[in-house]
Amino acid sequence: MSLARSPLSRWALAAWAFAGLAAPPAVTAADWPCWRGPKRNGVSDETDWLDRWPAEGPPVAWKASVGTGYSSFAVAGGRVFTLGNTDHTDTVFCLDAETGKLLWSHAYPADLGDRFFAGGPTSTPTVDGDRVFTLGRWGDCFCFEAATGKVIWTKNVATETGIRVPGWGFSGSPLVHGDRLVLNVGEAGLALEKATGRRVWLSGNQEAGYSTPLPVPRGDGWDILLGSGKAYLAVDVATGKERWRIRWVTQYGCNAADPVVDGDRVFISTGYGKGGVLLRSGDGPEPEVIWRGKVLATQMSPSVLIDGHLYGADGDTGKQGPLKCVVFATGEERWAHPGFGTGAVTAAAGRLIALSERGELMVAPATPKGFAPTARAQVLGGQCWTVPVLAHGRLFCRNAEGDVVCLDVRKP
Amino acid sequence: MATWNRRRVLAAGAAAAAWGAAPAVRAAHPARRYRTAVIGPGWWGRNILKEAIAAGRAQVVGLCDPDPNVVEVAADQVADLCGDTPKPYADFRELLEQSKPEVVIVASPDHWHALQTIAALKAGAHVYVEKPTGHTVRESRAMVKAAREAGRVVQVGLHRRVGPHHASAMRFLKEGGAGTVGMVRLFAHYGGGAERPAPNGDPPEGMDWDLYCGPAPKRPFNRRIHPGGFRQFLDFANGQLGDWGVHWLDQVMMWADGASPRRVYSTGGRPVRGAPVLTDREQTTDAPDHQVAVYEFDAFTCVWEHRQFAANQAEKHGIGAYFYGSKGTLHLGWRDGWTFYPANAKGGQVLHEDAQLQEPDGHNLKLLWADFLAAIDTGSAPAAGIERAHRSSVLPLLGMLSLKIGRSLRWDGEKEEIVGDPEANALLARPYRAPWTYPA
Repeated sequence: MSLARSPLSRWALAAWAFAGLAAPPAVTAADWPCWRGPKRNGVSDETDWLDRWPAEGPPVAWKASVGTGYSSFAVAGGRVFTLGNTDHTDTVFCLDAETGKLLWSHAYPADLGDRFFAGGPTSTPTVDGDRVFTLGRWGDCFCFEAATGKVIWTKNVATETGIRVPGWGFSGSPLVHGDRLVLNVGEAGLALEKATGRRVWLSGNQEAGYSTPLPVPRGDGWDILLGSGKAYLAVDVATGKERWRIRWVTQYGCNAADPVVDGDRVFISTGYGKGGVLLRSGDGPEPEVIWRGKVLATQMSPSVLIDGHLYGADGDTGKQGPLKCVVFATGEERWAHPGFGTGAVTAAAGRLIALSERGELMVAPATPKGFAPTARAQVLGGQCWTVPVLAHGRLFCRNAEGDVVCLDVRKP
Repeated sequence: MATWNRRRVLAAGAAAAAWGAAPAVRAAHPARRYRTAVIGPGWWGRNILKEAIAAGRAQVVGLCDPDPNVVEVAADQVADLCGDTPKPYADFRELLEQSKPEVVIVASPDHWHALQTIAALKAGAHVYVEKPTGHTVRESRAMVKAAREAGRVVQVGLHRRVGPHHASAMRFLKEGGAGTVGMVRLFAHYGGGAERPAPNGDPPEGMDWDLYCGPAPKRPFNRRIHPGGFRQFLDFANGQLGDWGVHWLDQVMMWADGASPRRVYSTGGRPVRGAPVLTDREQTTDAPDHQVAVYEFDAFTCVWEHRQFAANQAEKHGIGAYFYGSKGTLHLGWRDGWTFYPANAKGGQVLHEDAQLQEPDGHNLKLLWADFLAAIDTGSAPAAGIERAHRSSVLPLLGMLSLKIGRSLRWDGEKEEIVGDPEANALLARPYRAPWTYPA
């Protein structure tokens, strides 16, 4: 890529380099301000936390009930944000991360949408400095003052753009990138000005997938990777212009899991027996396929990548599939721990933090040698598809019914 | 338990060995691949297609659905499984004309079964069609007639006819294990609550919604219907009785050798889900959230009941059939296999046999498909052939008819007529939306 092709591209580079730097500073090291965390890879930098506890589990700091849904947690500035639905009303919750005390909430009417699952919001709030952004399944997008819950702006992006709502509604969390808010809405995303909600660019009126927009640096800018209805694709965040795509047809258009990226290699995986593919993205419109197989079929929550190995849930909900370790470069399976179901995995300090679909929390070294938990505990009942979040020595877990448990895993 | 059960296990083993021997039968015939097409390759249609591919006798030539997204997913899966590149179609008439299939799988919603099956038979294909056969009684009868005229095999997706634990339960009953059976209770209970209307919307990209509705009344598109929700809409299917009920009523027919009920009565409603809604803006499902249907046979009484609320935690089983006999109760279930509870709890022994199902969806399609191929190859009678399946399918349809008209029906199984009730008889068929014509 020539950086000096035109004055405009140089300007664009400068703008985006600045924008890329501008996003993180308001966040302290152990905050987890958005879906998949500050590095957007599901891996936390925290090292000082308990990876062993008695059979009854680590101490419970607090519990809360937030209503039906699968929204995970954003933790920043001592506040924790999540979403839930009760009586066909979505509520945005801001709780005190230490005590679970309700700091503020904001409710708006929203259908539960319990078609083939429990329903409720499936995206996670995104904190950006003193703002928090949310996106509901039917297109209700909000920008709040993080401290008070005051609405800075709001709009329904489906109504405003006329873009069709996919079968399960919009499920990707909002991405703040520079001065933009990027949403997985439309065939290849929608970008708004984060300050005002004004539209910057819009993609075709075709069904979105269910992944969260994932920013990846490119020589002269940033691409956003998205699961679309029938493809995974990359668009230039500056213009919305498509950079590459791989046709990827999954049952019910359920391209849900975020890609897992390492340099120019992109791992894509979906459920319903589809499986995964490792791509190498270049300058062309079609990435090169490195391997493709059914070893790891991610229906919902994406895998984490640690030291060249993917760790994630394989198979569809209700089938009690395994948690697997798969070699990123080759697709070889290293181990499979049965009965995990469509739970979810995060990681920190070389250890997996895995919450099974049935609510069993396990901590185990992230190693291809095998899955050997150093600690486990039944922390929730019901159905757990939502990835737990570790921040400031607290571990936040929830189930579909909206039971939240905050565990204290700080070292004494 | 031990003696009887060991015998059963051995018998099941023998049955498995018989299936294993099937290739030898086929070896006598050219084991060629049939040009195979699927109408309605959604979730269940693909389950069937997977078995067709796994049997190694299918060349998948066409996939047809008014929703091109459904076809795309299925085509992707076919390419994955066997490398075939079937042609996509929205309209089954074009599929039949252009792809010239020898075997057609009809897995569309119930309101399409008759027209598509009959058209496929007329085009010379053998047909595997999902249960129940028809959406109304006369459609089902027309399918029987078309199969006879075409001289082709029709297998109906009543896979419980060949399921190993079902077969062994039938043997147990017929050998008098439960004594004289005087009553059968069939049931499917789930939890659930009130239903809120969902907003109508645009059909998925490229979908021909008018064609999906076909002979049924055209209503606004709603995600509750498609994909996969049509069973709870009475324009397109017959609710739980048409979906689950037909399987268990079919088991009763296996046990009772196709006897016909002399009277049918049903009641039910939607007190928990709420009254059905259908406006320009929104809609709910309209199938009953609970229902009781009573089938009066000469030698026994059969009761169907379902609920989509409360589940059934008060009893041991949530789904299946109880055969009540003089010696005790046989529960014939799904994943819970079958269990015999002797009448005398102190003196008798509880007997049990586990289910042998294909997971994840808990069926026996592999066996049913092998039986279908054997029927095509050798001329043997298919296990769930159209005549038998028709008689079983009539039962839920009569139950729904009684529920609709609000009175009991005297049924003449010989003539297939409701005795002395012209208004009810008229409901054995239904008006079709133009340009579709009700099959004769």
